[in-house]
Amino acid sequence: MTTTPTPRFQVGDQVTVRDATTMFHTRTQGYVRGHTGTVTEHRPAWIVPEDEAFGIIENGRYTPFYVVRFKQTDLWPDYTGFEVDTLETECSELWLEPAGKEKK
Amino acid sequence: MASTPTQYDSFQRQAANLTPADRLPLDSPYEISNELYGLLRKVLHDLGGQPDTPVPFTEKGEEDWEMNTYLTCECLGWRGVWNSEERRRRENDLGATQYFGLPYYARWITTAAKALVDRGLITTDELGRKMDEVRARLEGQRS
Repeated sequence: MTTTPTPRFQVGDQVTVRDATTMFHTRTQGYVRGHTGTVTEHRPAWIVPEDEAFGIIENGRYTPFYVVRFKQTDLWPDYTGFEVDTLETECSELWLEPAGKEKK
Repeated sequence: MASTPTQYDSFQRQAANLTPADRLPLDSPYEISNELYGLLRKVLHDLGGQPDTPVPFTEKGEEDWEMNTYLTCECLGWRGVWNSEERRRRENDLGATQYFGLPYYARWITTAAKALVDRGLITTDELGRKMDEVRARLEGQRS
């Protein structure tokens, strides 16, 4: 985990959050899964929460992290706020696919 | 004005009355619907987006036991016993009853105690005995 992995996505890329089953632990919110947003920031690489949460540090998957921005109106069908409102959250690379490439 | 725990319980009951729970009791069924499975494939702490009624925003002062809990858990991390992510995962592992039933920092300290049990550093009966001892001492001080 000493070498910094090369980020697969760049700021401005459209990414879709995988709709993956997580029975025991994750930090990726259910409400963003399956939704498409825009990468707005690179965050420091770290061990994915799915490994770190079980004390798997040395052999943990060390990946880039991203801040992803979603339109609130995309996330919530009944959203009553402004059209321009956005929500940002952080995802490890494990959860992200290029937009349009995700399996339906 | 800060709400007391009793007032908070009352708010919770009012909210429950506004949105009556329409669900079957979960009792290790032989079969479950895809809809229920859809809920179970998310993690317990993933509450964002669930329907609820507004909750009053109140400032609550930090109590000594809460800060002691925070520092104890951080020191356990500093000394390499665990990390914050493991603590969060262990809070989920407490199960819904304890996760939602305990106050925030009580969840932390319960989780820390369980981590020590899991690592064989203390036993559950030692832990229970100590908790009963402390409770008896505090009750003695109050009476």
